[in-house]
Amino acid sequence: MNTEALSRQFTAELDRLSGSAETAARRAAAFDAFSATGFPTRRDEQWRYTDLRPISTAELDFAPASPSAELVSRVSESLERSGFDATASRLVFVDGSYCEALSRTTDAAGISIASLASCSEADLPAHAHAPLDGHPLATLNAAFAREGALIAAEAGARTAAPIELVFAASGHSGIAAQPRILIDLGHGADVTLVQHLLDLEPARGWFNAVTQIVQPPGSQLTLYRLQDHAEHQFHTALTRAELAEDAKLICGYFDLGGRLVRNDFDIRLKGAGADADLYGLFLASSGQHTDNHIRMDHIAPGTRSAEAFRGIIGDRGHGVFNGKVVVHRDAQHIDARQSSDNLLLADNAEIDTKPELEIYADDVKCSHGATIGELDDEQMFYLRARGLADDEARNLLTFAFANTILERIALPELRERIAERVAARLPNDETADKMR
Amino acid sequence: MLTIENLHVAVEEREILKGLDLSVNAGEIHAIMGPNGSGKSTLAQVLAGKDSYSVTQGRVLYRGEDLLDMEPEERARRGVFLAFQYPTEIPGVNNAYLLKAALNARREADGEPQVDAFEFMRLIRSRMELMNISKEFLNRSVNEGFSGGEKKRNEILQMLVLEPSLAVLDETDSGLDVDALKIVAAGVNSLRSDDRAMVLVTHYERLLELIVPDHVHVLSDGRIVKSGDRELARELDARGYDWVQQEAASA
Ligand SMILES: Nc1ncnc2c1ncn2[C@@H]1O[C@H](COP(=O)(O)OP(=O)(O)OP(=O)(O)O)[C@@H](O)[C@H]1O
Ligand SMILES: [Mg+2]
Repeated sequence: MNTEALSRQFTAELDRLSGSAETAARRAAAFDAFSATGFPTRRDEQWRYTDLRPISTAELDFAPASPSAELVSRVSESLERSGFDATASRLVFVDGSYCEALSRTTDAAGISIASLASCSEADLPAHAHAPLDGHPLATLNAAFAREGALIAAEAGARTAAPIELVFAASGHSGIAAQPRILIDLGHGADVTLVQHLLDLEPARGWFNAVTQIVQPPGSQLTLYRLQDHAEHQFHTALTRAELAEDAKLICGYFDLGGRLVRNDFDIRLKGAGADADLYGLFLASSGQHTDNHIRMDHIAPGTRSAEAFRGIIGDRGHGVFNGKVVVHRDAQHIDARQSSDNLLLADNAEIDTKPELEIYADDVKCSHGATIGELDDEQMFYLRARGLADDEARNLLTFAFANTILERIALPELRERIAERVAARLPNDETADKMR
Repeated sequence: MLTIENLHVAVEEREILKGLDLSVNAGEIHAIMGPNGSGKSTLAQVLAGKDSYSVTQGRVLYRGEDLLDMEPEERARRGVFLAFQYPTEIPGVNNAYLLKAALNARREADGEPQVDAFEFMRLIRSRMELMNISKEFLNRSVNEGFSGGEKKRNEILQMLVLEPSLAVLDETDSGLDVDALKIVAAGVNSLRSDDRAMVLVTHYERLLELIVPDHVHVLSDGRIVKSGDRELARELDARGYDWVQQEAASA
């Protein structure tokens, strides 16, 4: 999609969207900021391993129509089939549009859940308009975003059951959903949120999300995401969080599908005792590309971060782990750990891992470990010598590798659901056959 | 049950088994002894189907069929069992899961129904007691963090559950304390029957006092150089291998 076409779509969209002159100006400024650089290329250090041309050259529709009743009922069936809790608070979006019929926003005490379009501008937290410099795709999202979720928790409020955000894609090609998720917690609030991304049919669309999180002192946010796209979907997401004293953020991201996946994390530990724990599992085979790109800023002393990502990479799959830890001046007593463990299941599977450390303090503990391995021959033989078929043994060992990450999911039902999806999507026998 | 004829096996161009012959009938227990590095584990692994060894000559018949032509899992399903000298640790794979999957694979091959969770527990309880393995081992990862002796007892537990026709035990007695040795021997003896054969690889005659073999063989430099009965084991225990090797060299 060339710049003129994109610009035409933007102008049409700006006319269509309601909102104050101020909002319109902000969108225009974001669009101009994006246009100034356009889609990043691999010459840009931040995008060295990920080629966005499949997205930048695709025909995309940034203003898809609202879903038909027929589509909504198909999504509803699909949710039931996949065992979604019918009583949970949830927001459902179909092709980027909010779907009230499938959503349930019964507010737990002190917690409000709303679709963004239903919020008045005055309801939005201040950070909704924070600039997204250095993140061109997020900046493009700022220009186009018209839907998403606002989760706000009062001081001390807790979610009894996790809040679910479901983003379903219809299977119509070319849809470019640009959702925005705003999470605004009060002091000491404790919120668990689960994001599900699923496609009803294989489609080549683009899902480009921005999640903005502000955590005041003592708050805790647990964010799970199951990205279960069909094989052609492009998925890019920025998760940005600011943590004050003793705030704790836990992110567990599971990327199972998608053709081209890029997760950016931009985490700022601004108060002493702030703690960010990111972990993830991705499967990349049949030409899938998954890139986890993290920037962790230890701004205050006594902050802690952990990043643990595992990749299972099969036929023509490509994984990337790029983790940068920056310890700011005088931010002493820092504990920062990174690990990237990867299992390569095919000769043509590829992984790039690039840890980066920038340290401007002297009393810090930083560690990084990267492993790249194949299935262990001795373990394979042991299992087969006990009568397990070759592919069964492969899947068992591959799943065991994934399970280390799955075991970290604190919600048993969610763990079960994600484990099932992982098991169902493990690189299949064909991949295994090609290896021999 | 098992007929090995003129078996030659090489690893990375190096010949390890150099024309081995062995015949094991149903109902028999054969002990194989021999110096370190003589090829005992190589033989055991080749029988189980390890593909890093290449068979360059000879043949192996199991119940009249070409064993070397079968995949490792097919051998296991047809009743060949190897108790590993060094059982492999498999983090993340549940011990009970493997035991059940192994049993069901064998049952499927025999055209028997799969065991359910209840029947499985009933089936393994007494065997776990016999092996003095506590229930918590079921929920641990296969061999991970097991002590040397626990690994060996776990191998025998698997054997008891799978009830193989041909069991090859590679130094299952090594590293066991006296009590564990008795437990393992009791387990092995409980499987002794007319329609089952066993090959015990061992360095210690004391095992053969507990599991009395029908035949004892000396494997040296890739060949069986001497065979006899349990008296041979006693003699080896007293005199070492030198005399057998000299005898073989002068023959
Ligand atoms: N995978 C391998 N690669 C290279 N050499 C090997 C391999 N496996 C076995 N060997 C060599 O083959 C020879 C026989 O080894 P094997 O393990 O069969 O001996 P063993 O009789 O079982 O000895 P031990 O009594 O010490 O267990 C040894 O010299 C060993 O180093
Ligand atoms: Mg050996």
